[in-house]
Amino acid sequence: MESLSTSSEFENLYSYLKRFSDRLVEEEDNLRIVVESEKLREVAEVLSKTEGVFLRTIAASDERSVNGFYKMYYVFGIDKIHRNIVIEVPVDSSDPVVPSITDIVKAADWYEKEAHDLMGIKFSGRTLYKFVLPDDWPDNVYPLRKDYTVQDLVKLYRPEIVTKAKEVEAEAAIIIPIGPYHPALHEPEYFELYVRGEKVVDARYVGFMVHRGIEKLAESMKYDQVPFLAERICGICGFVHSCSYCQAVEKALKIPIPERAEYIRSIVLEIERIHSHLLWLGVAFHLLGYDTGFMHIWRIREQVMILAELLTGSRKTYGLNIIGGVRRDIDRDKAKKCLQVLDNIEKEFKNFVDAAINVPQIKSRLRRTGLLPKSEATSLSLVGPTVRGSGIPRDIRKDYPYAAYKYIDFKPVVRSECDNMARTEVRIYEIFQSIELVKNFLDRIPEGDIAVDSWEPEPYKFGIGAVEAPRGEVIHIVITGRYSPYRWRARAPTYQNLPAIPIMLRDIELADAPITIASIDPCFSCTDRALIIDISSNNVKSVPLNILSLKSSKLFR
Amino acid sequence: MVKFVKVIPIATKVGTVTIKYPYAKPLVTDSFRGAIEVNPSKCTGCGACTRICPPKALSMSIEGETAILRYFIGRCIFCGMCADVCPEKAIKITKEFELASEQVFDLYVDVEHEVVTCKRCGSKFVTSRLLNKVEQKLEEFPKELLYLCPRCRRIEMLSKQTYLR
Repeated sequence: MESLSTSSEFENLYSYLKRFSDRLVEEEDNLRIVVESEKLREVAEVLSKTEGVFLRTIAASDERSVNGFYKMYYVFGIDKIHRNIVIEVPVDSSDPVVPSITDIVKAADWYEKEAHDLMGIKFSGRTLYKFVLPDDWPDNVYPLRKDYTVQDLVKLYRPEIVTKAKEVEAEAAIIIPIGPYHPALHEPEYFELYVRGEKVVDARYVGFMVHRGIEKLAESMKYDQVPFLAERICGICGFVHSCSYCQAVEKALKIPIPERAEYIRSIVLEIERIHSHLLWLGVAFHLLGYDTGFMHIWRIREQVMILAELLTGSRKTYGLNIIGGVRRDIDRDKAKKCLQVLDNIEKEFKNFVDAAINVPQIKSRLRRTGLLPKSEATSLSLVGPTVRGSGIPRDIRKDYPYAAYKYIDFKPVVRSECDNMARTEVRIYEIFQSIELVKNFLDRIPEGDIAVDSWEPEPYKFGIGAVEAPRGEVIHIVITGRYSPYRWRARAPTYQNLPAIPIMLRDIELADAPITIASIDPCFSCTDRALIIDISSNNVKSVPLNILSLKSSKLFR
Repeated sequence: MVKFVKVIPIATKVGTVTIKYPYAKPLVTDSFRGAIEVNPSKCTGCGACTRICPPKALSMSIEGETAILRYFIGRCIFCGMCADVCPEKAIKITKEFELASEQVFDLYVDVEHEVVTCKRCGSKFVTSRLLNKVEQKLEEFPKELLYLCPRCRRIEMLSKQTYLR
């Protein structure tokens, strides 16, 4: 696939790594190297300085019962040559300390905090605090360790609310998040914006209000049940998660899936992208006070939802994926209907978006706001339309081809203006591109089976599955077990993209904050309320975000 | 013409799109997966569906003299995996989606089965219908072993083998 010249660019890196450790495995698309923890920083330094190397994900795994230690997996990807470098660091089980690499690789920040919270790995050279787990979680209980089952954890964790309920002699207690954590549109989130007058100085994000511990749950579920759990990670783009999970298991166990199944997966993935981008566009218009746009975009989107139901059996959470293939075929009638619907959507969307994007308010609110410089986007290893709006053509479909994308040629949509408009335009053109792709896939889909007959699990195999979700790269790591996954690590695109928000918010007008936050298409979606802290007067007030957003639009009236 | 004014003719042309639910039907396509329906005359109570069900909406339990296959719609995610694995094709996926009810009991559907007790230890280990089915399939299987629970069957087999040696 790659020419010799591009791979020779990384030859130095490869020979350096190969000299570094004798414990290395070369797989089809990964180079796996075991590195002692004292040498981790040195390797990370070299990788971070090599252009074109991005951090994709980090996973901590409890392998004490297998080989006597914890293990950290650092997955770096070289987009250009479609390969991963997996740095495996064994961590002592009695004193689990690893040097922190956050000062070298910025994107590692959250992963380290999460590994500390959930697996009890300590990172020397940085401060750590409770990040994912709630404040009243018992100390020294690390849920992802194999010492605990899900049932144990449920017994161990007694939230403060329970004691409080007993005090007031209540029968049951229910937490209803009202106030700053208001799940108005989708999911709860919380931003603190620090302002000077109307200008934003900095922003802080507090998340994980609804951490569900599904990675742990999957360890007690059977292989073929997990896709349905994975699909419920996200309510908007769930199919990408079940796809990534299945691909990771298929990679780990080397299960060859039928070509027809690959095409069907790709078709449904693109249909999901169309609906998700339309959804985002509608929400963006709503945030900018252009509700006509919101209504019409969602009207057009409804056709995609019905189409998805026709092809998969459900409007959302399609339930189509199983390991080794898919569950439903796309027959001739459905393919024909699909083409009709797509033609109609293309026409209607083109017509409408052309009008909507030219509304003066929309234009001026999107242009030159929420700037995300290319250099920052690179150093944070950002993904999806967020990074493509800053002129970097990262697209997993192209960089690490999977499913049917390996049979087809296309160019990622890129804009170099780095502002909110650029990210909007990337999504608009991706809708047209996705329609084109689905048509192409339907044209080329080969006859044949849609799933393998059977497959056998084999324990302790390692697999990576990645999918370009509407919001960016979704990457799953699976270490196989006998009946269930031994370790499953799911990383959604918003996880990677959120650290970019404080950068985009810096020095912008307060009224532009909502659309800027929304411009990465955060998976928890629109915040309803933000807390505004005025630095000079020390006043704290709560304002619903949509009202904040409308403030600026009124200037045009 | 200023481009954004184009919205007006689009809106006029489209008109009202809201469907007059529940008077206008159908709301769902032919592929739609709704609640499931277990055919009690076909079900043998093998429990395959309870093992694959991702949210554990289907469960098997023994209450008194009967085995109960219980379907709780409140947990169902409508994936239809149960219908895929059912060896008897006893589970049908319906298009039913208007499932809300004021009574939680309305959300439970039970299929009852007669159970067989182990001739030796008296534990209830299988539904009689499943046992009959297995009996038909295995012609040369010793009758006395058929009515023993898996544990007693193992003891019986082992003691026989020791005797032979």
